Amino acid sequence: MICIEELHFRYIGRKAGSLNGLNACITQGETVLLLGPSGSGKSTLALTFNGLVPHIIGGSMTGVVEVAGMDSRSATVAELSRQAGIVFQDPEAQFVTMIVEDEIAFGLENLRVPPEEMDVRIQEALDQVGLAHDRRRRLDALSGGEKQRLALAAVLAMRPQILIFDEPTANLDPLGTRQVFETIARLKATGRYTMIIIEHKLDDLMHLIDRVIALTSEGRILVEGNPADVFSGQTEKMMAYGIWMPQTAILAHKLRARGLTFSPFPITLAQAELAFCDVKASLNPSGDKSHPNPDNDDQPPSLEVRDLSFHYGEKAVLKNINMKVPKGDFLAIIGANGAGKTTLAQHLIDTLHPPSGAVLLDGTDITGINARDLIRRVGYVFQNPEHQFITNSVAHEIGFGLRQLGLPESEINDRVTNLLIQFNLEKLAKANPFTLSHGEKRRLSVATMLAVGQEILILDEPTFGQDQVNAAALMELLSKLHAEGRTVIIITHDMTLVAEYTYHCAVMAGGELLFHGPTADVFKQFDLLERAGLMLPPLARLSRRLASHRPELAELMTIEQFTTALTDDPVNPYEET
Amino acid sequence: MQSCYYGHDSLLNRLNPLSKIVATAPVILFLSLTADPVTPAVFMLLFGITTVIWGKIPVMRYLRQMAPLLLLVSGFLIFYPLAVNPVRVAETGIAYRLGPLEVYWGGIIFGVTTALRILSLIFGTMLFVMTTDSADFIRALVQQWRVPYRIGYSALAAYRFIPMLQSELAVIRAAHKVRGISDRSGLRAQIDRTRRYAVPLLATAIRKAERIALAKDSRAFGAYETRTYYRRFAFVRRDWIFIGAFLTVSLALVLFLARQGFLGPLAFMQKL
Repeated sequence: MICIEELHFRYIGRKAGSLNGLNACITQGETVLLLGPSGSGKSTLALTFNGLVPHIIGGSMTGVVEVAGMDSRSATVAELSRQAGIVFQDPEAQFVTMIVEDEIAFGLENLRVPPEEMDVRIQEALDQVGLAHDRRRRLDALSGGEKQRLALAAVLAMRPQILIFDEPTANLDPLGTRQVFETIARLKATGRYTMIIIEHKLDDLMHLIDRVIALTSEGRILVEGNPADVFSGQTEKMMAYGIWMPQTAILAHKLRARGLTFSPFPITLAQAELAFCDVKASLNPSGDKSHPNPDNDDQPPSLEVRDLSFHYGEKAVLKNINMKVPKGDFLAIIGANGAGKTTLAQHLIDTLHPPSGAVLLDGTDITGINARDLIRRVGYVFQNPEHQFITNSVAHEIGFGLRQLGLPESEINDRVTNLLIQFNLEKLAKANPFTLSHGEKRRLSVATMLAVGQEILILDEPTFGQDQVNAAALMELLSKLHAEGRTVIIITHDMTLVAEYTYHCAVMAGGELLFHGPTADVFKQFDLLERAGLMLPPLARLSRRLASHRPELAELMTIEQFTTALTDDPVNPYEET
Repeated sequence: MQSCYYGHDSLLNRLNPLSKIVATAPVILFLSLTADPVTPAVFMLLFGITTVIWGKIPVMRYLRQMAPLLLLVSGFLIFYPLAVNPVRVAETGIAYRLGPLEVYWGGIIFGVTTALRILSLIFGTMLFVMTTDSADFIRALVQQWRVPYRIGYSALAAYRFIPMLQSELAVIRAAHKVRGISDRSGLRAQIDRTRRYAVPLLATAIRKAERIALAKDSRAFGAYETRTYYRRFAFVRRDWIFIGAFLTVSLALVLFLARQGFLGPLAFMQKL
């Protein structure tokens, strides 16, 4: 269906090529998972399949891409887009019209489909993605998951044989992600489509994947093969490149390193369930389930929220929130998109002004603390690091807050140098912040927030859009800061991260705080998760499945807990192997 | 301004967007040439009533929408009388004095007239804006008035972009505030701030624009010289009736006002 031979591509104005000599063949009906660290050319490769590279995107391409029997160089974009449709990552930036049916009609209109035929094709496409009754809805009223399914419907209506998904769930909450994956599973079951999926939430996708292709950061093929072989045999290589892997595969890999053998090597939750059923009981089956241990409840609250409500126009975004965050806590604020997480967090730093007495910092009403003092005590890292950059160089960026404090220049230089080293940015001290890679930008934004030594650090989606190495490095850094006694609050959709790192969770839905307590307790309350539109992290689901055969394996959530329970050898989940 | 659009079912919403333009544009043009206070006031009422009744827009909402514009225009009422050349209005007598300033009756009438004229133009435009989906407007333009579709859809994309940029700017503001950017006032600080906001805003805007362009291209946008249309736009009977009725009523009003002596000489007929 797709054949690539010696494919090279270099963007105009770049020295290094994005794709450097790729060879691959994807057969009809196959579902291929495309992996790679950020900047490895995954998205660029996806765009060669529908001819945007090289027809629309400027650059020099050599080699051959053959799609459904057509040479992509001689075929037109119109011909190719009839064969291969793409769903992109950003639900906001792929729509043209305002209403569901118009959006689907858009592609058909471009292909000059007769209007009489459109009705049928629109309905058919909406049926396929489960939006049959939403034809007349406005796009801005759709949830993230609905938007991505609409984007898929818009592609399906053009009746392609090839579907390409470029991180379709990156901007979605857990429920939206599940909806998209279920839709992909349904399409796979029809057997009509060849699918290429770029994703990093892998555990709920693995059972659909026939083949894995992983790229290196230089745009070459690192490994290729069926998922079981790739994840069992090439684990080290993939880890070295910071490529996301299924949690089950990482766990199985850790267990194997401790002498357990599996056949087959488990890469889906179902396989893991079977495989771990037979693992001999550990000498210490109770394990250390108490990690992370919330023993800080008796600490005085560092932040306290009292009866906080907030309305945006007529809509209640926060409803009567009460919450105490003890000193030294590691808290996750979780919930569906639109649950009010960011709104709550922004009240904690007074970018949205709470009424007096509603937010207390160390017992003092924050409306009474002047802005300059407040930012010295509470740091806030926004979701998009670029938003916070205000100077022309990395070093100035870190020094900015210190200069505002009026410290002597020599001390500023010392502290900046230390932070540059701590955050592995010393080579980039003179670079413009906007020219950094995504991972570097994120590290810089955290570094700038810590320069003044804030006691409390709030981060909105800190690992968004990062590859595994960068995400893990950032979380380790936060753990370290937390161990030094800082209070860390993160907003995130990544339940694996919540399970691994946080002490407490604040679960929000529709502007209400449904639950605030130890992280382990959140994942025991299924109705709570359901109401908040959340999902258990993959390993917690595995633990649930195993519990019927192996009650001692119930209530495990992390790789560390599993490894401890199944062997006697506690490990750090991201240790070098 | 998508935020002004009141998307629901009403006679005005059902009309072809272009028929609303054909009906109101000549009237708006005429109003811009009037120089008396009564004519624009009467047409303000006509536009208002038409919008509220046949656009089925709640009166309170309509007024809320207009309130900021009324404020803006009231500026004219205050400053215009002071700015009018005293020679032209000297014979109308002095209404009051503000220290060394002498305000003439003629100046006040001038201010009122100008304010009403501007308001009537706004009310006329709002009849269209509040009842028209911008996407429909662009489709109608492309299909009926032969605007090249590539231009039409680019305009639509730009239009969808504005609310995105607005929310983006709000986030950037908050993000900079958290960095401890002082909110000093003054020209210098204002320029610095604008420059600092501009870089991240542009970076995001360019990235989003690129993504939208890619998404359009991958759905074969621009592949052929022509495209077909799911929603076809043409004038149907109700459009012709609306155009005819609106223009007839307007003409009747103008003639009536002229006969009653309210309609002064139009702008181009006046001696300067």
